[in-house]
Amino acid sequence: MSFLIREATVDDLAQIMILETECFVNDAWSEEMMRDELAAAHTYYLVALEGDEVVGYAGLSKLAGSDQADIQTIASSPRKRGLGIGRALMFALTVEANALGAKEIFLEVRADNPIAQKLYKVFGFRQIGVRKKYYQPDGVDAFVMKTESLVPPKTEPIVLGIETSCDETGIGIVRGNTLLANIISSSMEQHAIFGGVVPEVAARAHLEALTPVLDEALDKAGISLDEIDAIAVTNGPGLAGALMVGVGAAKALAVATGKPIYAVNHLVGHVGADILDQGKIELPTIALLVSGGHTSLLMVRDLLDDVVLLGETIDDAAGEAFDKVARVLGLSYPGGPEIDRVAKEGNPQAIRFPRGLSLPKDMAEHRYDFSFSGLKTAVARHVELAEFKNEEVPVADVAASFREAVVDVLITKAIAACKDHDVPRLLLGGGVVANSRLREVALVKCAEAGISLRIPALSLCTDNGAMIAALGAQLVMAGRAPSSLDFSAESTLPVTRVQS
Amino acid sequence: MHTASTRIDEYSLAIDTSAGTSVAVLSMGTVLAELNYPEPMTHSERIGAAIEKVLADAGVRPGQVSFVVAGVGPGPFTGLRVGLAAAQFFALGAKADLVAVCSLDAIALDYFQANPGSRALLVSTDARRKEVFWASYQGVANGIPVRVLGPSVNKPENLGEFINLAEHEVTELVVRAGALGEIAFAQSLTELGPNRDLTPIYLREPDAVPTKPKKVSG
Repeated sequence: MSFLIREATVDDLAQIMILETECFVNDAWSEEMMRDELAAAHTYYLVALEGDEVVGYAGLSKLAGSDQADIQTIASSPRKRGLGIGRALMFALTVEANALGAKEIFLEVRADNPIAQKLYKVFGFRQIGVRKKYYQPDGVDAFVMKTESLVPPKTEPIVLGIETSCDETGIGIVRGNTLLANIISSSMEQHAIFGGVVPEVAARAHLEALTPVLDEALDKAGISLDEIDAIAVTNGPGLAGALMVGVGAAKALAVATGKPIYAVNHLVGHVGADILDQGKIELPTIALLVSGGHTSLLMVRDLLDDVVLLGETIDDAAGEAFDKVARVLGLSYPGGPEIDRVAKEGNPQAIRFPRGLSLPKDMAEHRYDFSFSGLKTAVARHVELAEFKNEEVPVADVAASFREAVVDVLITKAIAACKDHDVPRLLLGGGVVANSRLREVALVKCAEAGISLRIPALSLCTDNGAMIAALGAQLVMAGRAPSSLDFSAESTLPVTRVQS
Repeated sequence: MHTASTRIDEYSLAIDTSAGTSVAVLSMGTVLAELNYPEPMTHSERIGAAIEKVLADAGVRPGQVSFVVAGVGPGPFTGLRVGLAAAQFFALGAKADLVAVCSLDAIALDYFQANPGSRALLVSTDARRKEVFWASYQGVANGIPVRVLGPSVNKPENLGEFINLAEHEVTELVVRAGALGEIAFAQSLTELGPNRDLTPIYLREPDAVPTKPKKVSG
């Protein structure tokens, strides 16, 4: 969102009129009407600017001595939809109405414009009446809407985030875009003897860790529960039984403290983590999220409204492949760090392991999808063959060559996504980002391709509550309504649903 | 672990998700409001709104709750944990104390109250995998069902001798949070005081065994 908002002046009239006639084809105001509106003492008009270009405008009317305000008009360029311009303008008008002493705001909206109605509902507007055939010459009814929610959302809300989607119990606290605490308790060691995450073990560990982790997070942030403005919780995707522990806890905490609750998407949380690392997030960006549970390639144009899944693994997650191959090589769990360690002594070109879904025919159908199950099998075959021949298994070479194959596919596809979508930005997230070779290759390949690379601090890349809090804070600051208390834990929550 | 006596006066909120979702608000051991949602598998959806509504029904604000009573099972694990997670965080949010009651005790209390004069009782609930969670009771003393055996998990055919001992058998799936709250209040009046150990009664280890990697070449 690279636009800014300022108060409008009569000098903006010409550009406003271009948008006015474009947006309101049959019932545009005349230039004289608009000039009077801009100049009137009881009105407050704003323009949204992208560079010097007016890409949106909105106006409020509030008579002195009255405690009612009216939204006169709001419009944004049809070419700039989805950037949140209308929302930002509404936010600014609400703030101004409140500052002017209004207790309620009214507006009229076309009955045939559900998108605008939805936006107004976010700001607490409810329909209170209908003006028949208000819009002429089209003969369309107007819905009269009113809001009494004039307390603008906080600019720097303190948000508590709860994450229990896999084997990490994470509770984080943020103030706006600033990290205050990020406490993680992992049950990883308990899963080691099983060679992978056991859902029941993970869920039991979450229940035990919740209270100590919350206490530690509050202590670290130096705040009490009373000071928190909102609670955010991961409601998916992830392990159902694990998610439910966090959801149950978060809902009860919300009721006990009277704070609003936001159910947020785990994967979008990974993208939002970058906000805490650099105070902002640059968009649009391609995001590559790689962990023991996910391998997903996302196109993010707007963190809250426009996240698209380009592709994902069709079988094992990349982190899972590391775990399984580590077992084949007799290395310990979790496999990622072990393979990374052993591979340093090996030759990554020693064995040419297959690159999943990278052949031309696969690229046609699965351009941004991943597959690691064939690779894992190829490694196992290689090892078994060596054992069959009574040869020593070249563990370092196998580890290095396997790691190279995984990294190659991940980065090649991510860069292809950047190029195809003309987005010169790549963001990495997920625990596998800890892999040194992945970071190395990403740096080199992105530099070659002129793509700017973002890798948040590792403590923000692995599953954590801070990223959930950060995403929750974005929702609060955007004036989004809280989630209703009856949302579900959804193990296959789609990435397009940022908030449930 | 029982600790020195603290009487559960003022208001308490009781939560149980060992069967369906049940919540209740009590004052001095008397149920002011109770909600029961018998459907299994909906605990995480229900729990927040259920707590909010039962408090509203009772006319009690969250900050007025000084004790949270949690049903610690036994029961299906996934659902059971939702209530225990909620109880923990409600208690933190409301600055309330936490106490635990075995969920089967609530079934026993309801039975004895409905059938005065009966003594030996076997309570069993479906534990899946052709097993039951069970406990046996000998009447009620000072408002608390007297549990003599269990809770435990067994195949029903192995419960023969206990069934023969019991005069009555309940295979009930409704665990009322109100009954849990009444028991917790009664326990708080005893010398032992309420039970503060919130460890869930799972009775089974996680269903996973250490495995070796499988061969891929035949």
